Amino acid sequence: MLRFLALRLARAAFTIVLVVTFAFVVLRMSGDPALIIMSPEAPVEAIEAFRHAWGLDQPIWVQYLSYFSAIFHGELGQSFRDGRPAIELVAERIPATLILTIPALLLKVGVGIPAGIHAALHRNSTTDRLVMAGAVAGFTIPSFVLGLLLVLLFSVQLGWLPSGGQESWRSMILPVITLGFGGAGVLARFTRSAMLEVLGQPYIRTASAKGVPWRMVVRGHALPNAAIPTVTIIGFMVGSLIAGAVVVESVFSWPGVGRLLVVAVSNRDLAVVQCILLLVATTMVTSNLIVDLLYGVLDPRLRAGAGAH
Amino acid sequence: MLTRRALGTIAGSAILPRVSLAQADNRPTVTVAVQTIATTNTLNLLREQSNVGERTSSLVNERLIDLDWFDGIKQVPGLATAWRRIDDTTVEFTLREGVKFHNGDRLSVEDVAFAFSATQMFGDSKPEAGVTLPMSAQYLIGVGSKALPPEIPPVARRSFPALRGVEIVDSRTVRFVNATPDVTLEGRISATGSEITSRRGFDEAASWLDYARKPIGTGPYRVREFRPDDILILDAHDEYWGGRPPIKTLRIKAVPEVSSRINGLLSGDYQFACDIPPDQIASVERNAGFEVVGGPILNNRITDFDKTNAVLADPRVRLAFAHAIDRAAIIEALWAGRTVVPPGNQFDYYGPMLIADWRVPEFDPAKSRALLKQAGYKGDAIPYRLLNNYYTNQVATSQILVEMWKQVGLNVEIEMKENWTQIRDRSKPRGVRDWSSGAAFGDPTGGFVTTFGPNGSAQAAGEWRNAEFDQLCIQIQTSVDRDLRKRIYRRLLEIAEREDPAYTVLHQNGSFTAKRKDIRWRSAPSFVMDFRASNWGAGIRA
Repeated sequence: MLRFLALRLARAAFTIVLVVTFAFVVLRMSGDPALIIMSPEAPVEAIEAFRHAWGLDQPIWVQYLSYFSAIFHGELGQSFRDGRPAIELVAERIPATLILTIPALLLKVGVGIPAGIHAALHRNSTTDRLVMAGAVAGFTIPSFVLGLLLVLLFSVQLGWLPSGGQESWRSMILPVITLGFGGAGVLARFTRSAMLEVLGQPYIRTASAKGVPWRMVVRGHALPNAAIPTVTIIGFMVGSLIAGAVVVESVFSWPGVGRLLVVAVSNRDLAVVQCILLLVATTMVTSNLIVDLLYGVLDPRLRAGAGAH
Repeated sequence: MLTRRALGTIAGSAILPRVSLAQADNRPTVTVAVQTIATTNTLNLLREQSNVGERTSSLVNERLIDLDWFDGIKQVPGLATAWRRIDDTTVEFTLREGVKFHNGDRLSVEDVAFAFSATQMFGDSKPEAGVTLPMSAQYLIGVGSKALPPEIPPVARRSFPALRGVEIVDSRTVRFVNATPDVTLEGRISATGSEITSRRGFDEAASWLDYARKPIGTGPYRVREFRPDDILILDAHDEYWGGRPPIKTLRIKAVPEVSSRINGLLSGDYQFACDIPPDQIASVERNAGFEVVGGPILNNRITDFDKTNAVLADPRVRLAFAHAIDRAAIIEALWAGRTVVPPGNQFDYYGPMLIADWRVPEFDPAKSRALLKQAGYKGDAIPYRLLNNYYTNQVATSQILVEMWKQVGLNVEIEMKENWTQIRDRSKPRGVRDWSSGAAFGDPTGGFVTTFGPNGSAQAAGEWRNAEFDQLCIQIQTSVDRDLRKRIYRRLLEIAEREDPAYTVLHQNGSFTAKRKDIRWRSAPSFVMDFRASNWGAGIRA
C-alpha cells in the first residue's frame, strides 16, 4: 500500500512540475508582458525599464531557475499589474468561485446520480427517455449558450433574477444552474450506463434469485459496483472546483478565479497565471489521487492488486 | 477666460451644498457596464494610457483646463478660471476659488506644483535632454513605496518634453515654464496625464499604487471602493465646485461579454452599457425603451505600413494600397454608417491648425493598378499581421481590405497574431498592420507628430522614417509662428499620407453606449462619460 501511495505521489509531483514548466515556457514565448501591460504606445525607455524591473530581460532559463527556486521557498511571485503576491490575489478570488462551484457540484451530484439510477432502473420507460434527453442537452449545450438563455428568460423576460454580478444570493442562482446542469447530465449518463452494466451481472441475478428484496439488491450490490466510473467523474469535478467556471464567470461577470485567470492571461501577468495553474494542477492531481485511493476502498480487488505488485 | 457660465457655476456651487443638506437625498444609484474598467487597474493616467482609463479617471480627477465635449471640444476653465501667455515659454494660471478635494482640503497652488513635480511626474529626467530614466528599479511598480514607478517619467516627458516646472506666483497663481518655446502648452495641460490630485492625499497613502487606485481628486465623484477587474464604486462629491452631482452612487461594473452587458441593460440591472459594437445597435434599439448613443471619437483607424519590407519600400506600392480602399463601403457595411472618413489623420478640434481641404487618397482602383505597374510589382506576398478584434470590427475590416487590395492586384496575406509583441516582431518580414491614431490635444503635435515623429512609436518599431519629416516635426514642436506651423503641418501630411506613406487612414473610430431612453444624458465624442449635473436630466442646456 505504501509503495502504491508513494508511486502515485511521485507521479502527482511530476505532473505538477510538467504543468508549471509548460505554462512558464508557453507564457513567456507568447508575448511580452511589458508591451501588453503598458500598451504598445508606451515609450521604448518605459518598456525597457519595466522589463528590467521584473527581470524579463534575463535569459529564459535564468528566469525559470529563479522561479523554481522561489517556489521552493514558498514564493509564487508578484503580480505585474498589482505588485501584490500572486497567491494573495488568487486567494482573494477563491471564495467567490467556490460559492458557485460547490453548490454546482452538489447540484450535479444531487440531481445527476439519482436521475441516472432512476433511468437505469426504469430502462426504456418515458422517464428514462426524458432523463437521457435532459442529460444529452446538459452536456451538449455549451455553458455560455445556456447561461445566456437563462439570462434572457429569467432576467430580461421575467425580471426575476439578476443578469450578472455578485450582488446578493440571488445573483448565484443562474450561474450555479448553468454550471450544474451540464455536470448533472454527464453524471446521469455515466451513472445510468454503469448501473445498467452492473444490473446485467450474474451476481445481481443471484441475489434476486435468493429472494433479497430488490431495493436491497440495488443498494447493497448494484450501487457500490457501479460507483467506480461515477467516482472518477466526481473526482474530475472536484479537481476543477477552483478554475472550472472560467466561461460562466465571464458570462455572469462573476469576480472569481476564472475571471482572474482570463484577465491575467490576456495581460500576461505571468506570476498570477502560474499561481492559478499550480493551484489547479495541485487540486486536480490531489483529487485524482484521492479517487485512486477510493478505488481501493470501493473495490478490494484493486487493493489486493496493488499489494501483489 | 472667466466666462459668465463659469461665474454662474461658482455662485451655484457656493449655495448648493447648504441647499442639499436640507433636501432628502433621492438621487439615483446608476450602474454603468463597461468591458474593462482600467487596463492597469489604476486611475492614474500616466500609467493607465488607455481610452477606458480616461473614462473612469475623468469622473474623479480634473485638470486646470477642461474640455467642452459638447461644443467643439473647446478648452474651457477647469480648476483654473483663467490663463494667459507670459511669453513663448510661460503660461500663467489663476486657480478657481473654493475648489475642494474629496478629503475636504481646498485646492492650493502647492497641489498644482506637486502634481507636475519630479516626485509625481518627471523623476530625474531633464526637460532639454528629453527622456532619461532612473536605472534602479527596486521599487518596481509603486508597491510599498512612494517612489515614482520607472515608466512614469518617460510617459510624462512625452506629454511635456520640455516642461521645466511650475512656479508659484502667489496663493492663487502658478506659472508653467517650458525650456523651449511651445504654443501647445495649454493643450498639453488640458490633456490626459495633467490631472491635479491632493498632495496631502498622496502623503497619507500607503504607497504610490494605493494612491493611483484611490486618488483624492476634485472631480464630481470620489472613490469609495475599487475592486480591480470587477467594480469601481464612486460616491457623489457633494462639495463639487461644478454643482451637486446628480447621481448618489455611480457603479462602474466590468462586464466583459457584450451580450451580458446588453442583457443586463435590458433587464434593468444596468442603466448604461458601454462599448457596444455597431452590429448590436439594431438589436438594442428594437426595444422601445432603449437607445444607443455615440459616434465618432477622437481616434482614427489606420493601416500602418512597414517600409522596410522589400515590396513596400517603393512608396507607389503603399499609395496603391491607399487608393484601393473604398472607405465609404466599410463604414456602411460594418459601422451602420455611424462614423466618418476624416480629412486625413486630423480632427476638427485642431481648430486653426486643421487643413480643411486635405483629403485621404480617393478610392480609385485604376490609379492603384497604374501605381503598381509603375512600381513593377510582381504579386509578391505582403504579410498583414492581425489581432483578433483588438479594434472594433477589426477582423471583418481586414477581410474586406484584403479583398479590395486583391481587386487591384495586391497579394496580401493575413497572419493572425495574439498580441502586440508578435505584431511588432522584427525577426520575420513585416508588411501592413492595423493601428489607431488619436490626439491628446487640439494640435497635430498632440498625436500625429508624437506617433510618427522622431520619438514616436512607428519609428521606435523600425517601420518608417523620413528625414524631412523628422526635421519638420522638431520645427512644428518649437515654432511659435502659427502660419509657419500650419505650412509645416500640411507638408507633414503630404509626406506621411502621399509621398512616402507611413499609413493610410480608414475611418474615424466610434464608441457607442446603450442606455435607457428616459435618461437624459449626452455622449461625448470620446470615451469620457460626463455625469455632472450639466449633462444629466433637466440640467442639460439646449
